[in-house]
Amino acid sequence: MTRILRPLLLLAALCALPAHAETTLNVFISSALRPEVMRQAFDQFEQANPGIKVVAQLGGATSDLQAQYLNTVLSAKDSSLDVLMLDIIRPAQFAATGWTLPLNKDVGTPAAFLKQYLPAYAEADMVDGKLVALPAFADAMFLYYRKDLLDKYHLPVPQTWTQLAKDAATIQAGEHDPQLQGVSFQGAPIEGTVCTFLLPYWSMGKSLVHDGRLTFDHAAAIKALDLWTGLVRQGVAPRNVAEIVTDQTRKDFEAGKAIFAVEWGYGWSFFQSADSAVKGKVAVAELPAVDGGKQVTCIGGWQWGVSAFSRHPAEAVRLVKFLSSAPVSTLLADKASLLPVFPPLYHDPKLVQAMPWLPQALPAVEQAKSRPVTPYYNDVSNVIRTQTNAVLAGSETPEQAADQMEARLKRVLR
Amino acid sequence: MTNNLARDAGEADTHNVEREGDPIGSDQGTVQNKLRAAGEPGLPRRPTLRPRRVSRAVLDASDAALARVLLAPTFLLLLLIVVYPVCRLLWTSLLDLRLAAGMPARFVGIDNYLSLGTDPEFWTALTNTLLITLITVPAALLAGLALALIANLPFRIQWPVRLSLLIPWAMPLAFVGMIGGWFFQSDYGVVNDLLRHVRPTRIIWFNSGWLSFIAICLTITWKTCSFVALVLLAGLQTIPNELYEAASVDGAGPLRRFFFVTLPLLRPAIAVAVIFRMITSLQTFDIPLTMTRGGPGTSTVTLAMYIHQNTVDFLDLGYGAALAVVLFFISMGVTTLYLRQVRSES
Repeated sequence: MTRILRPLLLLAALCALPAHAETTLNVFISSALRPEVMRQAFDQFEQANPGIKVVAQLGGATSDLQAQYLNTVLSAKDSSLDVLMLDIIRPAQFAATGWTLPLNKDVGTPAAFLKQYLPAYAEADMVDGKLVALPAFADAMFLYYRKDLLDKYHLPVPQTWTQLAKDAATIQAGEHDPQLQGVSFQGAPIEGTVCTFLLPYWSMGKSLVHDGRLTFDHAAAIKALDLWTGLVRQGVAPRNVAEIVTDQTRKDFEAGKAIFAVEWGYGWSFFQSADSAVKGKVAVAELPAVDGGKQVTCIGGWQWGVSAFSRHPAEAVRLVKFLSSAPVSTLLADKASLLPVFPPLYHDPKLVQAMPWLPQALPAVEQAKSRPVTPYYNDVSNVIRTQTNAVLAGSETPEQAADQMEARLKRVLR
Repeated sequence: MTNNLARDAGEADTHNVEREGDPIGSDQGTVQNKLRAAGEPGLPRRPTLRPRRVSRAVLDASDAALARVLLAPTFLLLLLIVVYPVCRLLWTSLLDLRLAAGMPARFVGIDNYLSLGTDPEFWTALTNTLLITLITVPAALLAGLALALIANLPFRIQWPVRLSLLIPWAMPLAFVGMIGGWFFQSDYGVVNDLLRHVRPTRIIWFNSGWLSFIAICLTITWKTCSFVALVLLAGLQTIPNELYEAASVDGAGPLRRFFFVTLPLLRPAIAVAVIFRMITSLQTFDIPLTMTRGGPGTSTVTLAMYIHQNTVDFLDLGYGAALAVVLFFISMGVTTLYLRQVRSES
């Protein structure tokens, strides 16, 4: 029986090959956002959709590098990418340039369809009535802290930055470890540093851009910058903070070199991994507020969009709808600690077991604020990060930086 | 050899243009000019030419046609890859073209150039670019000359010296920038580790504008001195040994031999190395980008980085093009220097 079957099967397979390898979808993803876990999602899609092959195209590790690449490829109307993973700060630009296909007619009524997601993403992905992309996973900045050290000194989780500085100084004095930083945050001229500036600025209740118009508060900007330089002066933050990039914070905290860390959600799975020096000693809380201000955080997260220049738009839309579905969101949370975009998943028992802080993360993610929504976001971001970096390096005073920021932002949003 | 080629190409171009302007009539004159210019040996003078005018004219016509056919591909290629992009760049620099907003281009005349004047980052970038050129070109020349003299010594085994000269030259610029970044990193950098023995407190290089600038200049000098050394080494090897022997016989010591034999004969090689270095250092991009990303603040941004930032990051093509035009004219200035140097030599 098998003697006849085997050649037949082989023949069938050979016949099937050309028909089944018809469509290849190229998906642009970050090399830093767990491509091996994304691959599992792609495999599931391939199984459910015979005839479509999904190939991951790895982009740069940071949001800035990926944006540079996409800017080049898409302004040339290149069709080599079908599906794009976009940072939450991009949809406004992609809507203005028309680089992604509007997905309005693929989801029925967009407003009703988007109700299932966290409100911040439903809002970010809908620009001028166009559904630019669909949510992939959520993210926000959190305060990671060393539970063991806070317990040792009987300190509660700080609610304000002033309290954090005091607690950190107490622990640093008690531990006698010159390597131990009080708090690690980002000061290099990178995207994360934009949030570094905005956290205390927002905490004072100020906004930067409203309806495309600049609403810069000069005094609040100076106070925000003063907060960070103050932490450096007090020895709570390292002197070389102007060198620190997002992943350096992750590495320092993971190596047990920091008491507090301002970091995105992706850090958790690293801190709890087998070779982490702080495994089992980490907890997550909402970021502190300025004195008299409210606790806020900066929203991150990523979206799936279909390239307007794709040669297989129908298949690409199908893939994007699959990737932004609840099963994939569960997979990403389970395997890569990437936060879900569906609120009910924050109470999913299986996920809570992997990430005990998930229920606490929900209010933070729900109330997190978005960085300025404007097609010129890259310019805005550049102004903020270079000026913040200059202040943290000590080459500019907060006053000078606030003047520069205001003047340049006025030019960008002219 | 290269010089002759360059000159011939230049001559051919001039004639091309001449012919385009006046298609009939001046064929004979053109060919005569060409032959005279090329210094063709045995060129018949005008009087001898006159009697055979008719047959000559026929020949000339076919000559000219042939030349036209043969030059056409080069001419078209130059049009396509040099003239068109430059004209397009000049045109774009007159537009308000910001792709990020998805709006159509708008003609704004010289507005982009006017905003250069009030853009502090442009002036920082321009000053940095010129300073990098003024500092690293002489530094690389001195270091390169020393390396070339060492490599020119009669070692028994030559390849280790030559290889160590080639390695920095062959390395991609971005790698060198990243290596430089690690070298000067405050926590785990090699430089601070060495300085630890001299100075107890670590220096945070990238916290200060001018320390970052020094770190960048040192890295660029290290990277480029091997290129200078290679050019100078080639120059050194063309100096005949007899000259040194003759100088020794005349009683010249090593210092005098260096200043009165080596240096004067090396002058053409030095000129070529310096001008090539100047042009590339005006375009400095990779090393500061990978070492400091222009930071702290904007204190180590170069003109090329600022162009890249405006065009690729901000998609502000109009302003980026205006910046590129500025860099284009600065580079043109240096290239003119080079061409003048080459001409004066031949």
